[in-house]
Amino acid sequence: MIGSGYSRLLGTVGAVCVLGLLAGGAAVTAQQPSNTITFQDLLQGLKDPTRWLTFSGDYSGQRHSPLTQITPENVKHLSPQWTFQTDTPGKFEATPIVLDGVLYVTGANNLAWALDARTGRTIWRYRRDLPDGVVVCCGRVNRGFGILGDTLYMATLDAHLLAMDRKTGAIVWDAVLGDYKAAYSSTSAPLVVKDKVLIGMGGGEYGVRGFIDAYDAKTGKRAWRFHTIPAPGEPGNDSWSKDNDSWATGGGATWQIGSYDPELNLVIWGTGNAGPQMYGGDRPGDNLYAASFVALDADTGKVRWHFQFTPHDVWDYDATHVPVLADIMLNGQRRKVVLNANRNGFFYVLDRETGKMLLGKPFANTTWAKEIGADGRPKVLPNTIPTEKGALVCPAAAGATNFMTPSYDPKLGLLFITAREGCMTFYAWKVDYVAGDSFRGGAGVASEPAGGTYGALRAIDPTTGAQRWEFRYTSPTSAGVTSTASGLVFTGDNEGNFIAFDGRTGKSLWHYQTGSGIYASATTYMLDGKQHIVMPSGATLTAFALPDADVQR
Amino acid sequence: MQLAWKLTFALLLGLIGAGTTAAQDARRAILDGNPEALKRGSLLFRARCSGCHGLDAKGVSGPDLTAVLAAGTTEDRFFRVVRTGQGTDMPRFGSDQTADSQVWEILAHLRSLSQAGASEPIRGNAENGARIFRTSCTGCHRVNGVGGALGPDLSRVGSMRSATALMAKVRDPNKSHVPGFRPVSVVLNDGRRIRGVVKNEDAFSIQILDVSERIQGLSKTGVREIVREPRSPMPAFGADRLSDSDLRDLVSHLMTLRNNTPAS
Repeated sequence: MIGSGYSRLLGTVGAVCVLGLLAGGAAVTAQQPSNTITFQDLLQGLKDPTRWLTFSGDYSGQRHSPLTQITPENVKHLSPQWTFQTDTPGKFEATPIVLDGVLYVTGANNLAWALDARTGRTIWRYRRDLPDGVVVCCGRVNRGFGILGDTLYMATLDAHLLAMDRKTGAIVWDAVLGDYKAAYSSTSAPLVVKDKVLIGMGGGEYGVRGFIDAYDAKTGKRAWRFHTIPAPGEPGNDSWSKDNDSWATGGGATWQIGSYDPELNLVIWGTGNAGPQMYGGDRPGDNLYAASFVALDADTGKVRWHFQFTPHDVWDYDATHVPVLADIMLNGQRRKVVLNANRNGFFYVLDRETGKMLLGKPFANTTWAKEIGADGRPKVLPNTIPTEKGALVCPAAAGATNFMTPSYDPKLGLLFITAREGCMTFYAWKVDYVAGDSFRGGAGVASEPAGGTYGALRAIDPTTGAQRWEFRYTSPTSAGVTSTASGLVFTGDNEGNFIAFDGRTGKSLWHYQTGSGIYASATTYMLDGKQHIVMPSGATLTAFALPDADVQR
Repeated sequence: MQLAWKLTFALLLGLIGAGTTAAQDARRAILDGNPEALKRGSLLFRARCSGCHGLDAKGVSGPDLTAVLAAGTTEDRFFRVVRTGQGTDMPRFGSDQTADSQVWEILAHLRSLSQAGASEPIRGNAENGARIFRTSCTGCHRVNGVGGALGPDLSRVGSMRSATALMAKVRDPNKSHVPGFRPVSVVLNDGRRIRGVVKNEDAFSIQILDVSERIQGLSKTGVREIVREPRSPMPAFGADRLSDSDLRDLVSHLMTLRNNTPAS
């Protein structure tokens, strides 16, 4: 065993270099490839198999690794290498950044770690002194770091964006996104584009006005802000009430990371529910740009197009999904598209250049609307709007899917999503805005559909919207999906299983009980000639690899 | 309005001397069947809690609070969780935002939900009911550590269920099943059939307590079929087996089972 001396060495500034030498193997020179991450490196995505540099792995949001050492044939031999436990309450929703044999990962309550990717041993730990009075609806979680240069970026529950020295975890700068006392928060991983750090925020249940911010990566100075709810005089404000200031507390939070198309220089980002969440009486209109994808110029933050999945949302159907950018054949034509399985139960294909809908089909049981018109608008059915008396609607507020990441395998031409079936009676009542207080104006009562409430992994053919296969879990799950070029699909379930599937058939090939429900997605990378795959579960990370016998050729 | 109430309450506490006893008295005044407090609690619950716990408190994204209370959560623990979050994902509700009295009002409302109808009077001979219970029920149901494990522990059933609901359950146990006691038959690959109740399950395994009270886990690779039995292992006690008068006696006894010490 290399032991504690090795760990101590890793604690020093020179450690990164030492790790580089170990990974490099033979011919050692003083000059290792630079580990100072550039925009070019981020554009390369997963082409360097030892790295995973952004939440989705690359800018496309496909979360599809080119690695092929672990195959449908040998995956059954996958074995745990180490487990890291935070020894603190809360759970992981993060995707670790992987660079040069080190994992950089964020946890609950804005704890963060640099970990030795070989052993899971801690190199440094960061802890933020959060103020009392932080308000978050759905867990004191964080979804991960962004990276540029030698700096890591993390958003916080009290709505700050932090820049951190990659080698020590020391704070480089600290920018304020919003007022946590008015329930502004951030749980998202930042998206680094060029020389800017883009970040979204949360608080859609508390009457915030949503935005996407860009900060200068070096200085922390804000470069632009895009408000997801337009102010009077701005295009789209006419989709809010003319008789009150409903727009000012209109929600449209941006709590899951977007994707980036370098060719079009477009950032595509999802927005959350309108506010109040279930009572729409004071906000007649479509309520732009809530429950939408917005496409922004990466340099200026100016909106180029938008697509609203759920106009006048009153069911909490956030569109805070990772947009999946892909080039697919549609009606004999190669199209640049955005794929999205939406919380509202419909699967969409949008033209990436214009935002025009090319396809819209249900992928789960939907009773609020059965179809989407050619204009992209859902045909909302009667008696589905929440009232004091209640309206039974499927999907439930938790959605037919949610923040969990999809993955797209271009070779198989399949989008893999975590779906859930469930219904809810939605109740609504008038609510007044009080800063920091719940601004839902409603609540639900869960209702079991005839086929039961359950979760499933579903494979969708994006050219038709048809479901190719599904694998059912015993309960709804919040785990995201990661796929690999060998045709494997990795995800997890609410019962704690980390599972590998055959992407072609949906057959489960291997599973490992991690001991806690899974709320994150797997990360995979090469280390010492072996493909590793790390799955967060509860407050632990577990790394897996194949035994030597499976790796030798 | 909220602030005014808080101030009044603080003033009141100050006048009485703000001692523990005064706080205890205020708590009891709210929790012991004060209809005004109950109404305020219901509105507070709707505004502050129902978004996550559901309007019926049976859970949406947050847990089922009727089950949490039924499992024996103490008043003090409930208060602490509301105040501090106690390491759960729930936001803290500090005293600047939510007065002590409001926490107790919410609890009063929740109790009224989970005990729906518990205060309906039932006049039976509880002693005779206890005798019936010993002969017909203890084989499967445990009370204060005595009895079987195949059915739910009934040590606190009197504070969890209404008499009406209990009478219906005894007559027809198949209408609904408590989680952890759903009846199942597992058919193994070799054809053996194991009858029991489901303790836990995931996509790859199932954990059961069989009718002989053997607790075991089974990998689904060794299982040919899992039959969700519509019928509970509990026999239905129709009027032919249990007269209306004996049923009243039995339920009168059940309603006395209110062991409020937290589950170990």
